[in-house]
Amino acid sequence: MAEMWISMGPQHPMTHGLWTLKVKVDGETVVDTEPDLGYIHRGVEKICEARDFTQITTYCDRLCYASANTWSHSYIYAAEDLLEVEVPERAEYIRLVAIEIQRIASHLMWLGAYGPDIGNLSVMVWCLREREMMMDLLQELGGSRMHYNFPRVGGVKRDLPHGFAQRARAKLKLFLNRIQEYEALFDESTVFLVRSQGVGYAKPEEMVNHGVTGPNLRAGGVNYDIRWAHPYSVYSELDWEPPVERSSIKGADCYDRYRVRVEEMRVSASLVLQALDKMPGGADTYHEPGDPMILAKAPARAPEGTTGAHHFEDSRGESMFYIAGGGEGRGKQPYRVSIRSPIFITIPFAAKCMIGYKVADIPAIMGSFDPCIGETDR
Amino acid sequence: MHRGDRQVIHMASGDWLNIVGWSESFTSWSMDNVHDILPSNDIDMEVTIPSTWAWPDPITIGPIFNLQQGFASIQPALESFMHATIMCTVVFTVMMLTMLAIPYIERKFIGRLMDRLGATTTMRSLWVGESGVTAGEWWKQLPFGMGIPIGWVVNLLNSYWGNSHELETVSRVNNRSYHGYWFLLPGFFQAFADFMKFATKEHIVPKNADKVVFEIAPVIILATTIMVFAFVPFGPHIYAANPELSLLFMMAIFGVAPLGVFFAGWASNNKYTLIGGMRSAAQLTAYEIPLLITVLGVAVLSGSFNIIEIVDFQMGQNEGNVWNIFLLPLGAVLFLITMIAEVERIPFDMPEAEAELVEGWWTEYGGIRWGLMFAAEYMRSYAACILFALFFLGGWEAPFQHTLSNLSTVGGTFEAVFSAVPGLAWVLIKAWLLFAVFVWIRASLHRVRTDQILEFGWRYLLPLSVVNLVVATILRLEVWTGEPWDLWVPVTLTLAALALFVILAIDEDEEALEVQRRPYSTQAVVKASPGSHRD
Amino acid sequence: MGKIVPIKTQRAEAEKLAAAISEIDGVEAGVAERVSGTNPRPVVLGNSSPESWRALAEALHSEHGIDYCSMVTGVHWPEGDGDKKWEVVYHLMRTGIRNPPIEDGLVQPVIVDPSTVEGSDTPLELELHVYLPDTRTPSVDSVQDIWVGADWNEKETWDLVGIDFDGHQGMRRVLLPHETPKGFHPLQKQHRLRYHGFQDMYDDSQGFMRKPADVGKIK
Repeated sequence: MAEMWISMGPQHPMTHGLWTLKVKVDGETVVDTEPDLGYIHRGVEKICEARDFTQITTYCDRLCYASANTWSHSYIYAAEDLLEVEVPERAEYIRLVAIEIQRIASHLMWLGAYGPDIGNLSVMVWCLREREMMMDLLQELGGSRMHYNFPRVGGVKRDLPHGFAQRARAKLKLFLNRIQEYEALFDESTVFLVRSQGVGYAKPEEMVNHGVTGPNLRAGGVNYDIRWAHPYSVYSELDWEPPVERSSIKGADCYDRYRVRVEEMRVSASLVLQALDKMPGGADTYHEPGDPMILAKAPARAPEGTTGAHHFEDSRGESMFYIAGGGEGRGKQPYRVSIRSPIFITIPFAAKCMIGYKVADIPAIMGSFDPCIGETDR
Repeated sequence: MHRGDRQVIHMASGDWLNIVGWSESFTSWSMDNVHDILPSNDIDMEVTIPSTWAWPDPITIGPIFNLQQGFASIQPALESFMHATIMCTVVFTVMMLTMLAIPYIERKFIGRLMDRLGATTTMRSLWVGESGVTAGEWWKQLPFGMGIPIGWVVNLLNSYWGNSHELETVSRVNNRSYHGYWFLLPGFFQAFADFMKFATKEHIVPKNADKVVFEIAPVIILATTIMVFAFVPFGPHIYAANPELSLLFMMAIFGVAPLGVFFAGWASNNKYTLIGGMRSAAQLTAYEIPLLITVLGVAVLSGSFNIIEIVDFQMGQNEGNVWNIFLLPLGAVLFLITMIAEVERIPFDMPEAEAELVEGWWTEYGGIRWGLMFAAEYMRSYAACILFALFFLGGWEAPFQHTLSNLSTVGGTFEAVFSAVPGLAWVLIKAWLLFAVFVWIRASLHRVRTDQILEFGWRYLLPLSVVNLVVATILRLEVWTGEPWDLWVPVTLTLAALALFVILAIDEDEEALEVQRRPYSTQAVVKASPGSHRD
Repeated sequence: MGKIVPIKTQRAEAEKLAAAISEIDGVEAGVAERVSGTNPRPVVLGNSSPESWRALAEALHSEHGIDYCSMVTGVHWPEGDGDKKWEVVYHLMRTGIRNPPIEDGLVQPVIVDPSTVEGSDTPLELELHVYLPDTRTPSVDSVQDIWVGADWNEKETWDLVGIDFDGHQGMRRVLLPHETPKGFHPLQKQHRLRYHGFQDMYDDSQGFMRKPADVGKIK
């Protein structure tokens, strides 16, 4: 059969978001790919030029809605760099708790979408159920189930609610038991292994040159993580290690990327449990919003010529915000906000990874790179 | 009365629900009455019907024309026709009514598996709703405290293999309590509502689709699926047709549906459906062959191509009958796997994989055409379940029927119970339980990739089915003596099969386990590599 | 405790790198200290002239092991002074990643101990600014062949800001629709947001029924 271009998307059950993947197939083999993004480009970077620094946080939640806390914190660190604010330590611990619970929730969403891509529908329901536990915790922290608007320039908006530490510990303990059930459904299923091993190879040096970081990179056998390479927050005070996967000889395949994220869920859970134990002031004390223990006073204006940038380990890779100060309102609004989305760079790489494999491998490969189109299109 | 030698099969089994017999006696009684009513005097009359385009030569009736005798000459054909019509209607009705359980089982069982409620609650939820009572401790509903020991057993099992609901906040999403009727109704009418929705939807044909083929394809699929049920006996006396080679007819018709699938995929003028149709054609063709060879093995063992005789073979002439599953365990497993592939269920549902192809070969179909093809897929699953029950699970025989009937004191009670319960009930129970197994497999496994499916079918299942055929032939020729089986035969075969399964299932590679730091062990170091990839 | 790269090592390496690239003509670099929250970190901050950008990029990649291009940002300064009307900001990083070695047919994962990194394996962060004078067709040399990660970033910069990249293969619109008219780059400052200030929104009598000023002209 002759080669033909198939267009997968924009409405497609597999695509984890709104984008098009044009695939040139020769029979069942993929010969060429071309991703097409921009369907939900909302112009966030332009909008942010007309918003105060506090108002921008809400937009950053909506960049990647599956992993909202990591994005708003990524912005906040850059804003704090720009405005030169020092954050109280308790606030950093609370932020860490929020970020890592969000990371667990994001990976659960990924796993719950990856199962049906490969054909297993049960695991979607199971993962979403566990995610409900995480969403409950995040709702207690941030006020809503999805877009939390949790950090403020200089700290966080609210302290841990009463009893949060106790509930979080119980839920995370239960969750650590439940992870084994997902592993059973995936790792003990020969069908899954046969679908995901040997598919979608990628080597670390190639990935780095292409701009891919995060769990996708650690699946290749290197333990690079922004949290220790360009340290921020209080990760240095907690006992943790980024999970690394022993990849196949030809590179990281889909199975390795899956395993890395499962281990990351465990690591994140243990980080949260440690942070709750080590919280300065104790996890059970409650400070009113605005208390200097959790929120430092921050200037509202950034004069022209100042810049702030921060690299952040998002659930999907390295995200970065670059803010140039000196915008409207004599610097109350930024002049330029530039958002670096890991998946914007990973999607073309994943599209390249697919060449040579079968059409049936496309959801397996694409899903294993964990695309989220909200942050791609901004 | 001339009834013709329709039945060349000597049926050894039977029960009181003799619909075929009733239908035959009803038709013969009614035709006899018509015969008797008609005047028996000779009429001196010659009638010539002139020739038309339909018949070129003129037809002459007479000169002597006796109505009664004329009727007597067509009476056998008329009786057959009436009988066939009645039986087709009855069988079709039985099939449709009993098939209502199938989507119900699928929906409920999958839902409960996804809830992770545990095995006992899942099974029990199939027949009892939960009005007000949570899906937890159903045994407390039993009277006289009968449920308390059940509760101990369930709690013990759950403590090893179940989920303990530790927190309310977790249980809150697992907690379903239905408001409403307790018996069957929660979710029961979903199938009706779905069907009505399909029936009222618009019929859309894609612009450049091949209209003729587009319309023919669902007809082929549906017609062949329904025709399969003409040969499937639901009970010892409930079948629409029972020719001597009913098995061959049925498998032949079962295998025509892939043609319809391919037509559908091609005619829709859509690249997705074309890929889906081709995948489906390849997959179904690849799995037809092991299926047929496995069924051939069953036929060889049972000595007949007639399904009823196969069931009779399992029921045995006297005592010591053995179900085929214990004689051909490999064949049973092969039949199960190839049937799951034939009806395109997960793990073999690549042709309609929603993750890639939206709906695969039936993407462009809407409304009643899609609804009927969807129903046809479930009908084929149902046919597969019933056939498994007939070929391997003894059909309409109750478990241990002969043994229980021949017990010393209570045998009489059992015999009375068994003769009161129609065979249809046993067939249905076995088929539904097997369908629950199909659903269980669907809920837990992933979708296998097309080239892996094909490789599995051609390289593994085909040789295994030939092995099964060889085993069946040896059993029939060498071991079978015309008397009921000796006990050692099925026991050895079953134990050997179980041992092989256990050995193959435990494939832990301890050393690789350590090296790879992975909690579960399968294929840790050597990656599975069926199918060809760029290096 | 969680190990992190010691800030002394990073600072020393940053200063070494800054000194090394300052020797290239047209480049001036130094080390700035960025503070995010509680942790300070050193960043190599540099300016390059557009002519020497390509040479700088190649030197960074080949001699200094900068293997990762994080982001390419374009900024439009219509009121900037002198030659600084357009700015391209490159965020690059050195990750120190090598392919893991293979022994006995098994990959041995590379577990870097951050507290002991030194020399050219130290992770580094760079921020390089390239300023362009006032022109209707700003353009900079493309580094698409050096770091493939810059590929889609450059496409996005051209798409949204309008800065072209010489030598870039396959330049196209990525975030805006493919049929966006030529010359429309929304992040340039002459394109204003509707309701730029919140009060406009509340004071607008037409409210949400108002059509944009360029309705019918731009798709």
